[in-house]
Amino acid sequence: MSADGSLVVGSRRKRSLVAVSLTVVAVLCAAYAIAPFVLILAGSLERNTTAILSSWDPLSIHAIIPKSLSGAGYSENVRGSFGTALRNSIVVAAATVVIGLVLAIFAAFALAVLKFRFRELVFGLVVVSFLIPFDAVSIPLSGTFREWGLSNSLIGLVIPGLGNGFAVFLLRQFFLGIPSELVDAARVDGMSNARMVWSVFIPLSKPAIISAGLVLFVGQWQEYLWPLLTVSDTSKEVAPVALGEFVTQFATDYRGMFAAAILTTAIPMVLVLLLQRYFGQTVIGTEGK
Amino acid sequence: MLAPVLAALVVLRLYPIALALKDSFEGPHGASLANYRFIFSSSQFLHSLLVTLIFNVIVNPFQLAVALGLAVLLTRRVPGRNLWRALIFAPVAMPMPVSAVIWNEIFAQNGAANGLLKLLGLPAQGFLTSQHQALGSIIILASWIGVGYWMIFLIAGLQDIPTALYDAAAMDGTSVWQRFRYVTLPMLRRPLAFVLVADTVANLVLFAPVQILTSGGPLNATNLLMYSIYQEAFTDSAVNLADAETIILVLVSLIIVTLEFRILRSGE
Repeated sequence: MSADGSLVVGSRRKRSLVAVSLTVVAVLCAAYAIAPFVLILAGSLERNTTAILSSWDPLSIHAIIPKSLSGAGYSENVRGSFGTALRNSIVVAAATVVIGLVLAIFAAFALAVLKFRFRELVFGLVVVSFLIPFDAVSIPLSGTFREWGLSNSLIGLVIPGLGNGFAVFLLRQFFLGIPSELVDAARVDGMSNARMVWSVFIPLSKPAIISAGLVLFVGQWQEYLWPLLTVSDTSKEVAPVALGEFVTQFATDYRGMFAAAILTTAIPMVLVLLLQRYFGQTVIGTEGK
Repeated sequence: MLAPVLAALVVLRLYPIALALKDSFEGPHGASLANYRFIFSSSQFLHSLLVTLIFNVIVNPFQLAVALGLAVLLTRRVPGRNLWRALIFAPVAMPMPVSAVIWNEIFAQNGAANGLLKLLGLPAQGFLTSQHQALGSIIILASWIGVGYWMIFLIAGLQDIPTALYDAAAMDGTSVWQRFRYVTLPMLRRPLAFVLVADTVANLVLFAPVQILTSGGPLNATNLLMYSIYQEAFTDSAVNLADAETIILVLVSLIIVTLEFRILRSGE
């Protein structure tokens, strides 16, 4: 097509140069993101972590590959009090996802499909609640929870995770995209609202529900200030708080700390990697949607 | 159907604010503005407010810009881009106390950061222990966590932009930069607004790294408001002062978020 062949070759070379440099940038960014994981994974498996830490040499291969392997950091943690904390975290996060999803799905359905007075106002309230960070109000609220006898209980840890305006917002956006003809048809068939949620909305909204579930899970798994405020009994402690204690202890057990860090991260990481393709995809529309 | 969520929102958001507001007026001499007068004449609180504002003015636009850059990069035809996306997203799966613990080791005197500097022939830095570098170090840490998360939302937004728009713009002989400026940015306004607001809401109450790593120091350089309130309530047992500070924090959040919405709307 082009009379001047050299121009085409030139632009092709330029294009591949751009592609190579973009790839290099992407690889560097990814390496930066995971380098800390590699460092602690190596540290968690090292027999003598303290010796390694006293002179961390990034050039040495032992910065990323342990000199002498040991799984003791993991086995000690799982058996010890950290194991209890990890189990508490799993129970609390799982309960938050299940109950939180049920609540959010019904609320989102009401806000997207049902017509009632003050609907916009109620939706506004949900959005505003999302814009007030929970941690900001957690100190006054922790006093109330203590009065209600909900401190030092797993239920007291689950409840704050349930009021998740973001999950409601996300599901409502998705439900708005479900054709109203389907709702009308279901009405004609005499379906109740609850039935409609179960057999029409839930099956059609799998990606949005997975995203909302992930938001609820990660939100609860990350929670640190609230458990710090409301739990003093070590048998009810959650993993992030137990981990924070590793640092504030007088003599830090680095290997145990790194192993605990890996364990605490592995669970949401696996979930996120498995479900990543649903996440984000449904979260927000662009202009004009 | 709405009742449980509404009840949760009222109990978990509105009620504690009302409670904090009521208690913030209480003191040994009955109801008054004394607590507010006190905190606004306390240099420590004002400094903490200033640090929180400086932190947010830097960290939020910075994270948004980096997340946008990464999102644009990883929606182009880069080999293995799904893998790079997953790896860059990974830090958010890590609970913040864990990230704090790891970065504490990285920033340590003989840690990886100074190891790298030595490799480049540069002098060792104090990072978290230096008054001038501590806040910057916290920004690096917070961004390492957050950027990949926000990137995912922007990637979703970028993928929703019809390719026909780019084809049309390319046909008009526009440059890459012009296409970014006049197609990508306007089409991405809503996701950008969402990310900026959600990111700000998260960063305004940043707490774990401060509590675990610096305790607000050195010399209050990282005394972010959330930590300052926590200290007030638990170490100093000045609960009513903490309530007044909580109200200020909620107000600051609402003002900043409203401003951000305004700024992003003004372009429409």
